[in-house]
Amino acid sequence: MIKYLFTDFYRSKAHSIGLLLLLVAGLVSLEIGSRFLERAERVSEKTAAHQAESIQRNVSHSTGELGLLMYYQRFGLENEVPRLAGLSIGQRDIYPSVQSVNVRNLEEQRYSTDLMNPLFQLLGNMDFSFVLIYFFPLVIVAFGFNLVSEEREGGTWSLVLSQTDSPMDFLRCKLAIRLLGVLAVLVLLLAVAVFYLDIPLDSFFWAFGVIAVAYVLFWFALVWLVVSFQLSSNLNAQILLACWVFLNLIIPAGINVVQRWAFPIPEAMTAVIENREGYHAQWDREKEPTLEHFYSKYPQYGEFQHPKDQDFSWLWYFAMQQLGDDEARKSVKEMRGKLEQRMEMASKVSWLVPTVHTQLSLNSASFSDMGNYLQYMGALEDFHEAKKGYFFPLIFEEKSVFEMDWDGFALESFRDQHPVQWIGILAPFILSVLVLLLWANRNYTKSGIYSNGK
Amino acid sequence: MKTRSPILLLAAQVWKNILFRPGSKALILVMNVLLIGFMIVGFLDLNEHQRQVHGFGEDVRENWENSPDKHPHRMAHYGYLVFREKFPLSYFDFGMDSYLGNVIFLEAHKQNTANFSEANLSNGLLRFGEISAGMILQILVPLLIFFWGYDLITKDRENGTLKILFAQGVQGLELIWGRVAGLFLASLSLVGLPLVLGLGLLFFQPENELLGQSLIQYLVLALAYLGYFLILALVSVLVSAKSQSSKSSLTTLIGFWLLFTLVIPKVSQVLGQSFFPNPSKIEFDSAVEEEIIRQGDSHNPNDPHYAALKDSLLRAYQVDSVQKLPFNYSGFVMREGERLSTETYLSHQKKLQETFLDQQQVIRMAAWLDPFLAIKLASMGLSGTDDAMYQSFKDQSESFRYELAQTMNNLQIDLISNRVKSSSDPSARLTQDHWKSMPDFHQQFLPLGEVLSNEIGSLLILALWLVAGVALSVFYSHRIKVV
Repeated sequence: MIKYLFTDFYRSKAHSIGLLLLLVAGLVSLEIGSRFLERAERVSEKTAAHQAESIQRNVSHSTGELGLLMYYQRFGLENEVPRLAGLSIGQRDIYPSVQSVNVRNLEEQRYSTDLMNPLFQLLGNMDFSFVLIYFFPLVIVAFGFNLVSEEREGGTWSLVLSQTDSPMDFLRCKLAIRLLGVLAVLVLLLAVAVFYLDIPLDSFFWAFGVIAVAYVLFWFALVWLVVSFQLSSNLNAQILLACWVFLNLIIPAGINVVQRWAFPIPEAMTAVIENREGYHAQWDREKEPTLEHFYSKYPQYGEFQHPKDQDFSWLWYFAMQQLGDDEARKSVKEMRGKLEQRMEMASKVSWLVPTVHTQLSLNSASFSDMGNYLQYMGALEDFHEAKKGYFFPLIFEEKSVFEMDWDGFALESFRDQHPVQWIGILAPFILSVLVLLLWANRNYTKSGIYSNGK
Repeated sequence: MKTRSPILLLAAQVWKNILFRPGSKALILVMNVLLIGFMIVGFLDLNEHQRQVHGFGEDVRENWENSPDKHPHRMAHYGYLVFREKFPLSYFDFGMDSYLGNVIFLEAHKQNTANFSEANLSNGLLRFGEISAGMILQILVPLLIFFWGYDLITKDRENGTLKILFAQGVQGLELIWGRVAGLFLASLSLVGLPLVLGLGLLFFQPENELLGQSLIQYLVLALAYLGYFLILALVSVLVSAKSQSSKSSLTTLIGFWLLFTLVIPKVSQVLGQSFFPNPSKIEFDSAVEEEIIRQGDSHNPNDPHYAALKDSLLRAYQVDSVQKLPFNYSGFVMREGERLSTETYLSHQKKLQETFLDQQQVIRMAAWLDPFLAIKLASMGLSGTDDAMYQSFKDQSESFRYELAQTMNNLQIDLISNRVKSSSDPSARLTQDHWKSMPDFHQQFLPLGEVLSNEIGSLLILALWLVAGVALSVFYSHRIKVV
């Protein structure tokens, strides 16, 4: 009988077309992922080359004054793009993958954005995660919405009942064949992706695959539940489509609205104002408080003094810059707190909304989520501090540019790391699938389909 | 009994049928609540944004005017912060708003990016789309129209009532238009009240010097949406007339909906990106930088461009050193540098913007196949949340930045002595009334004429879809299969 069901499934043109559409959409998404990765690589190479050139040029034009050189010279820190991000671009097209900063105040520099067509950002990337989250369920729904009702409406249901002892097994087989077809396409796409995008087979890739499979299972479980009510094909299709609209459009967008209202972030703007005032106001003040602030922050520079008879020194200048960052620090911290609250809220709500959970976990596994961005921002702070720590003493002791070795300043790179949170990833899926299956089971038992009407 | 037009009778019948379907009343209620609710949410959001932005803008201005006496070049570096205001109609359709930067730091020598878009502050959720009245009207209402309309003719055929209708002398065209009219009427029950109330919101804007323009844009917008719904009603009834069964009609319509709202927009985005790739920031910046260095590096004392400038000045004023010039020489050099670098930046920026426009052109072409894209573009444009409005803000802030830098340079050239050694010298300070005399930044929105002419293309597409739908219904009205 299973053989029959197989032939029946693949003989239907609609089924083959459905699988083919998924395959084609998936392949297109891989191409998009590959272009995204190429662009990120190009940006990284270009930045590295530009940094080397600019160091060379600045040094050759230099008067020897290190402070002046360090006013201009920027150093880049790349937020390494894992190959897996080609499958789930997430926020990566909104946050630049490299930021170059000089040793002046950081706040003014670190939020600069890449050049992107906002219309394209609005329409969104058709990356693999999009195909998975939006297209796969549609095909699953199309395959399963009339699992029982097509037999009823086609008049073959009584034949089924008369020829099998267990109509449940018959339905399970029917659904399993559809599940196998969809999973085969999914596995095929992931296998192609591994080669095409050169993705390493690490735990993140396996997590990615498991999430994708779990998401497909969720939709099959949902179809199984809706079918268990044994309504008409039309009604099933409408219910399932409504589920798709709610899970993929309305609920996520609704959560986004709530998130914005619950945690507004005016601090982002306040920080910009405080940063600018914090630095520039120092020009018109007595120098001592500015310097005192600097010494209390960095006692190691206590040995350097501002020459009393001069209007300007680099020590004073960078002490002023430091106040730009420090005045904004409170707002920046609050902004970060709000961003974390937004993330936390979304991840809590996502327990109830598998589509959102899938997107967030895929982004997290491919390091293209806001968590990664916040980690990178932290790394950029450390990077900036390290550069200051290296250059400040040299600037303050007035070391000549020409006495220094300028070779060791290549583009640096930050690699985000966190272990795969298997429980956090799987638990919501297991929970929702379990609820759906149990509920469906109850419906089937009530309908007496188990006992074949006997 | 008066004889009434069969179209009206048929339309009334459709409306009654829809109203008495289970769940229809609830759906109508929910849709009305959603639309009105999200317009109010958008409206409050907009007012909050405007309130904040005005507050920040006033702070910035106050700080600028109260800056103590200092060297003008320090003021040029202190610079200005400008915050993006939203158009009064942006509550209707958020469009690209969430992807647009909200603040730009303007300073001498350097064009900074617009930062802190809502997308910068969001986790992946924004990517599922945003709910605004525009989104509901563009995506959800069409789905309902298709659900209400898919069996308007197939059901009669399946029940055998189609035969009776024709036997009673109903013409094919009357049948189609009657059904379309009924379905369109039903769609009005979803959107009519919200559209009227939405218009009312415009009168509650705290500052409404743009009321006239907004009202006209709103009316055009509402008409465009009504046209969109009429197109969708035509599509559903025609598909229903052409389909063998209600089931295949529903499948076809859902297919159209997915094609219109999901597939074509994504595919055109992909095509646009591959036909017209745009440079990354680093590529753009290095190209600008290289060209500026080629033209002349004002920081390099041996640069030929600036050496020539110096020689010609010395000759013209017949002096032997720049200190003897009757104006501030370093201010003069900076003014020249600012002019050259801005010119170069703008020429690259223009090229970049052309690439963006080419990319958008691909989307506009795709809109010929997709009324959803057409209404989306029109709706964004008319709500003032599109790229054109954003570019106008960026252009205004760039010219303000240039003015600011050159005003400060001119103050330095005219008022600062040539013998001053450093900007800290007390004699190099200008009094703060100079700062006050520089005007504040006032963002201007694109005027009505420009907005309308930007969107004439997408409105035309909608009009043509409408004409094509009507033509097709005339053409097809003789071919309706009765059984």
